[in-house]
Amino acid sequence: MLKSDLVNILVQKKGVTQKQAEATVDVIFNAMKDALVAGENIEIRGLGAFHVKHYGSYQGRNPKTGEPIPVKAKRGIRFRAGKELKDRVNRPGPDGKVPPLPPSTP
Amino acid sequence: MTKADIIENVYERVGFSKKDSAELVEMVFDTVKETLERGDKVKIVGFGIFQPRFKRSRPGRNPQSGQPIEITARRVVVFVPSTGLKSDLNDGFVPEGELSAEDLDDNPDADVDEDDE
Repeated sequence: MLKSDLVNILVQKKGVTQKQAEATVDVIFNAMKDALVAGENIEIRGLGAFHVKHYGSYQGRNPKTGEPIPVKAKRGIRFRAGKELKDRVNRPGPDGKVPPLPPSTP
Repeated sequence: MTKADIIENVYERVGFSKKDSAELVEMVFDTVKETLERGDKVKIVGFGIFQPRFKRSRPGRNPQSGQPIEITARRVVVFVPSTGLKSDLNDGFVPEGELSAEDLDDNPDADVDEDDE
């Protein structure tokens, strides 16, 4: 599933134009991106929460040469799936077990 | 940021009514969840990838009692931020009390041993 697939679904199911659907999907993910870049956390009920995590700098090493390399402090994103998403993704099959993933499609 | 803020953004920047904005945002997140539920990944260029992963069962412990238990096989969702999001997150980000610019700009090709002095 790509952004273009989301756009098509909005066009088909909500009767909006292609342009409006594109703008909507872009605004949603750009707003989320801007919030994270501003250091803000995001919580979407049912989907999950995005948390901006600060990592301190440390003295690393080049694993090949053993040479010490300073690693800069940086920020990363931790995503925790919400309860609804967790439960829906982890649904047991008829045998009571959660099946392995099907071969992936883009 | 919550879903209400995202709806507000769609309302202001795309121009739908509040109600329509809410429905569209809802549909986008519902579609993401449905796709992951099917076992497919969701790739949003410029933001990141939501990907279901299968975890085999493994031995674990009840952290309270120390009892060994089996952690059952399961599916989980991981989010991998895009390189664009990662670099924007760190562009111009200067944390306090970190190594100075000089420390960080050390020549990476410098020799480890500098014993001839």
